[in-house]
Parts: sequence; C-alpha cells; structure tokens
Amino acid sequence: MKIPMILLPILLCLIFTPSCSQPSIPDGYVIVALESNPSSLDPRIATDASSQKIIRLIFNGLVKLDENMRPAPDLAIRWEKINDLAFLFHLRKGVKFHNGKELTSEDVKFTFKSILNPSLSSPHRGSYQYIKSIEERGRYAVIFRLKKPYSPFLTTMTMPIIPADYNDKENPPPGTGPFKFVRWIQDEWIELKANDGFFDGEVRIKGVIFRIIPDDTSRFLELQKGNIHLILNAIEPEVLPLVNKRSRLFNIMTRPGTNYSYLGFNLHDPILRDRRVREAIARGIDRDTIIKEILKGFAYPAKGILPPMHWAHEGDVEVYTYNPVRARKLLDEAGFFDPDGPGPKKRFRLLYKTSQNKLRRRIAEVIQAQLAQIGIDVEIRSYEWGTFYSDIKSGNFQIYSLTWVGVTDPDIYYYIFHSSSTPPNGANRGGYRNPEVDSLLERGRVEGDEKRRKEIYSKIQKIIVKDLPYISLYHSVNIAVVKKGLVGFILYPDESLISLRYASFNRE
Amino acid sequence: MRKFLIRRILLFVPVLLGTLTIAFSIIHLIPGDPVDIILGENALPADKDALRKALKLDLPLHRQYITFLSGLFKGDLGYSIYTKQPVIRTVMERYPATIELALASIIFSVLFSFPLGIVAAIYKDRWPDHITRFFSLTGLCMPNFFLAPILIIIFSIELGLLPVSGTGGIQNIILPSITLGFGMSSILTRMIRSSLYEVLNDDYIRGAKAKGVDNFSILLKHALPNALIPVITILAMQFGSLLAGSIITETIFSWPGIGRLVIQSIYARDYPLLQGCLIFISLSYQFINLILDLLYAFIDPRIRYEKGVL
Repeated sequence: MKIPMILLPILLCLIFTPSCSQPSIPDGYVIVALESNPSSLDPRIATDASSQKIIRLIFNGLVKLDENMRPAPDLAIRWEKINDLAFLFHLRKGVKFHNGKELTSEDVKFTFKSILNPSLSSPHRGSYQYIKSIEERGRYAVIFRLKKPYSPFLTTMTMPIIPADYNDKENPPPGTGPFKFVRWIQDEWIELKANDGFFDGEVRIKGVIFRIIPDDTSRFLELQKGNIHLILNAIEPEVLPLVNKRSRLFNIMTRPGTNYSYLGFNLHDPILRDRRVREAIARGIDRDTIIKEILKGFAYPAKGILPPMHWAHEGDVEVYTYNPVRARKLLDEAGFFDPDGPGPKKRFRLLYKTSQNKLRRRIAEVIQAQLAQIGIDVEIRSYEWGTFYSDIKSGNFQIYSLTWVGVTDPDIYYYIFHSSSTPPNGANRGGYRNPEVDSLLERGRVEGDEKRRKEIYSKIQKIIVKDLPYISLYHSVNIAVVKKGLVGFILYPDESLISLRYASFNRE
Repeated sequence: MRKFLIRRILLFVPVLLGTLTIAFSIIHLIPGDPVDIILGENALPADKDALRKALKLDLPLHRQYITFLSGLFKGDLGYSIYTKQPVIRTVMERYPATIELALASIIFSVLFSFPLGIVAAIYKDRWPDHITRFFSLTGLCMPNFFLAPILIIIFSIELGLLPVSGTGGIQNIILPSITLGFGMSSILTRMIRSSLYEVLNDDYIRGAKAKGVDNFSILLKHALPNALIPVITILAMQFGSLLAGSIITETIFSWPGIGRLVIQSIYARDYPLLQGCLIFISLSYQFINLILDLLYAFIDPRIRYEKGVL
C-alpha cells in the first residue's frame, strides 16, 4: 500500500494540471456562446452555421448582401457588367490582410481557382461551375468570364477572399475583416482580436471570444451567471421567459429571420396528385396555433421561400387560411368521402416523414391532430437523418417537412421547382412539373435587369403558391440575448454577427 | 507466470481483430450511399467519385479491408471529412481531456465509496448502513442529465463556488467528476459492503480477533485486501467505460472529450472520424482489461496457476 500512497499526490498533480487554460478574459472583449464547434475557419471549406458566424467577422467577399439581399460593395468598390458573360470588379485599394499583405487581384483569382481545384474538395465547388475564366487586370481589377449568362452570379461573389500566399495547414487563412484570428482550442473556445487596420472604420471592442457550450441548459446557466455577453438563436424559446425575469441583466432582441420551413408533397402519389387534396391539407393546418403554441411566437407565417425583406419577395399571393369546413368540402369534391362522418374511420391515410429533431416531431404531431379533424389519417415516421434524407431524395415519401436555410437569390426556385431539377440534379423531390414555370425560371436565370427579374419571380411565386407543391409553414425569428452594458449590437435577418464591430461597452 | 502472460497477450489479438472488423464495417452498414449522405445532393459527380476514391469505396471489399488494416498499422486513420484534418490528430487532441475526467471520477468514487462501504459493512443493518444504502440508491437512480444541472445550480449559480462549464483548473473538473463518479461510487459502496462483510465473518478473522489483534489492523491488514478482488474488477470495468467518454456529462459541462467527438462525428456523418474514435475507445478498453487480468495474477497468485481461468 505504500507505493500508491506516495504516488497519489503526484497523480493528483498530473490530473489537475490544466491541459489548457481558459482565456483570462481581458476588458473590452465580448463573449459569445456557440452551440457547436465550427468545422473549419477556412471559408472555402466550411459550410456549417457556427463556422459561418465566425468567418463573417474575419473575412470579406468581393460583395456583401444588404438587408434586402441585394449585392453591395465590399472588397470590390464597384463592378461593371461588360456583357452577359463578363463582369469586371474594381478592388478597393490599400486593403490589408491580417498578415500585413495588401489585397490584390491575384488573391481574388487564387481564392476562386483553389475552390474550383478538385484537390481541395471544397463543398462550394458546385456553386462556381459557371465560371469559365478569371483574369487579372492590373493589381486592382479582375474580370470573371462565365460559360453562360447567369444572373445570380453577383450573389455568389460573397465568398470570402483569402491571400494567394496562404499555405498553412495548422491555422486558418488571414482575412481582411474587422477581427483577426488569434487561437482556437478545439471544442472549447476561439479568440478573435480587433483589427486596428480595418479598411471600413474603427472597431470599438477589443475582441471576441466564442465559447462552445453544446448543452442548452448549461448555456442558459452560463448566461444567468453573467459569463456570456451574447447568445444568438442558441437559446430555446421555452427558457426566454426565465431570461425575461432577469431583464435588468439582459436585453432580448428579436427580428424576423430568413429560414423557411415547409411541407413537401410527392406529386406522383395517386392521392396527392389532386390539387384539391393539397389545398384541403393546406386549409386543414392551423399555422397560427403551431407558431403560438410550439414555437412560442418566435416564427411568422410564410408565404413562400423568399422572406418578406427579400427584394424579389412577392406578398400578393393566395393565402390558404385555416378553414376545416372548406377543407372537408374540397376532399369530398376530390372524391375522398369520409366513410362515417365524425366517426373513427378516415378518408385516407398519409405517411408523414420527418427527421428526429424534437421541434419537428412536435410540429408533425400537431399537424397530425389537425388533419384528423378533416378526416385524414396521418402516420408520422421520424428517421435518423441519413435514412430520412435518402428517402426524400429518392422520392420515397408522401409528405415530409424540412427547412431551407441561407436563401439569398431567387434562382433557388430553379433548383427546387424546375422540371430538370429532380435529384441528383436539384431538389425537385416531389416531381413538380409546370412548363410555364420552367420557361419563367429559365428566363429569370439569364435576365440581367433587376426590375424585370422581380416581375418574373413574382409570377413564379404566384404560380407555385397556386399549384401547391409545398405548403409554406413559417419563417424563423432571430432571437438575441444581450447582456446589459453591451451597446451597438444590431440583429440582422441572416444571423450575422457583423454588427459586433459597431458594439461597445457602456460603463455606468 | 510467463505462460499466463503469453496466453493472455495472444488472446488480445483475435479480440483486437474483431473490433477492427466491426469498426471497418460501419461505413458499409449505414443506409444509402455514404458518399451521397456525406456530400449532399448538389455535389458534382466528379467530387463524389473523388470522395469514393478517398474513402477507398471504389475497391473490392477485401482490398478495402486490407488497405484499412495496413493503414492502421502505419498509424494512418485517414482524414476527417468535416474538418479535413487527420483523424489521428483530432482524436489525440480530445483524448487527454477524457482520460483526465475518467481519472478524476475514479478518484472521487474511490474516496467516496471506500469509507461508506467499510462503515456499512461494519454496522450492517444498523443506521449507518441504512444511510449509506440511501446514498447508494440515490446515486444509482439519478441520471447524469438530472444530477449535473442540479449540481451546477447549487454550486455555481447559488453558491458561486465553481464554474458552470468549460475547462481550466481544478475547480472546473470537480462538478463533472462528481456527476460521473456519484453513480459509480454507489455500485462500489454496495460491492465493498457485501464483499467486506463476507470476509469479516471468515474463520481467519475470528482467529485474528482471538489472537487479540486490534479491530483497526484486522480491517485494514487482513480483511480489506482480501475483499478487494471483486471491487477492483468493478473499478476497472468502470474505468474502461469512462475512457469511452461520457456523451451527456461532456456535453453538459462543455468538456472537450472523446464522447462529444463521437456525437459530433455522427451528426456530421463523418464516418472516418467515427471509425477512428471507435478504434481508440475499444483499444483503450481492451488495454485496461489486459492490465486488469495481469493485475489479478499479481494480486492473487492462485490465478496464475489455475487452468481454465481464461
């Protein structure tokens, strides 16, 4: 027994020697809670939400999207459309990367070339296939030549630019943004420091620390303890009343978001092929109840994929208000009679597929109960993501529910509803086919004028709502909880944290 | 002893091969085409082919298996699809945190269960025994996802003594190790109690008492060492399972261990990384088992000579 007794203190010291210490948080740093560890801080590789939040603080693209999703100057101070197949970008002069090197056309070319290079296996590669060539015009101008006319081109130019000499396997590339990367302790925290030489004005806080706290309860308790200054959307609607109780410590900010949740139909299905059945289902679902009871009011009814603040959004479309009487009548008209009226027998049975997400399952249950009222028997099947996704892709479903996130260009309608976009070519999973929509989508893709594009997409949105291949459920609402004393933070619809550059601490 | 050692180590090989085969087959057992699931539906056919090639899924099954094994012996577990980092590096970065937490939990449960178990054995069926029984049952019944927030609310929020989550110093490891160690110590307490009680009623203890040896020496020198064999077995098994990481506790306390990495790799459908985690976890489990068997032989000489103990 003697040896272990001697070893014990040594063992204890070994165990409790901190393997890595938490950052001692200096004054002027904002601490933001994140739900998950980012996959990568290389913008060419990352796709997940956590990475995107940080990447947008470190990097800039040639253009950025304003609040209406219109391209606005960022690293490119202006651009010219030479013709349908060529765009000339004039770069801002004197912009420095965080490593001190000046931004030039070479960096722009390198960024896109490396994304297109199969050896990087960038998940963004597919989005830049229309680029034929990239030419440098001197130090501060670049020409992009396209294989064919493609109007969403400018929207895709938000890809962050990295320096051409980047060749570091250990650290993420330096950017040009308001904050520079300092260090990243995997699964724990990421430190960014204010960039004093930022080209677009002064950054008032000293830096940002992202703490990765995956558990909802712990995140809330950390917030309650005052260890966190800002949580964006990473808080469950149910606990907000508790945060509200301590409102002298926090401000809660909300703002309509862009994520779009919907129900998708399989139009090859003998029952769902009938538009009247789809309308009956749309009229049998009470979206307001879902939003109020399950989402606690943190969502708003959607009219289509594009959110109301989007430049191409069409608000004047048919709205299928909750009307069970009308729904029953429509089903009768379609020949699906209720065998025993209010009795237990139903008109027909539908299979509703969803993922294992808790919220989605609860929404499915409410829809199940609501559709039972109009005589439709809904069976819910919730699957692990891999199975669910492969079923959806192969058309093995009757109804499913999902969400589109990060919608920026109305060309997404081509990807979802063009008859040639059936998987694997696109996301027309329900087999929607309308020659008029096809030709409008093809026109929208090549039309350069924004006003004419808006007209085209207005028509498309109206037809889609009428044809009902999707039932629009709701758009998300962004929620930020901000510790009192942190001022100047603005909540944007697209979950961006970029306004942290205007934020500062208010000393009382 | 040498014969025992050689046999035990030789037995390690087929078990190892079995676990590696299971880890290898994961990617073939998932529904759908793994490449489609990993890359999503808007991936280019060329990228799908490239990934299929990178994952060696284009080779015949037996060739895939051989490549997998040979890569493994060179210490190459491939690259994570999600982070593009070598799997071995990612796993190695997380493993120390898991070992740290496992050791701290074991130390907590030993420090907690030994005194309680001994007291319960000495005062069997009297009030100290009833109190320890209450603690044990509470520990056994209380799930981690319930215990952890309660500990945080009491010690971090109300008393302000300990941090809520994260790593850093000793204060950071206390709550997670209590969360993990509490349930374990309940089992251990009951184990020590019954095993010690049995030994205390043996003839040689009665002999020692008759000789006039004081109670303290009887307990520590004669009874406790003989009651330890089943306790060590349980302890080692629990240590093995702790080394697999605790998904719930690591998540609640934002502890950067292997349990969270497993969950992340499942969510991200990062099969090479998941494979790497499984190999590491099963290897460490088996290694602990091997050490334990050797330790038995060391503690109890009978085990070395008996036939058929393996």
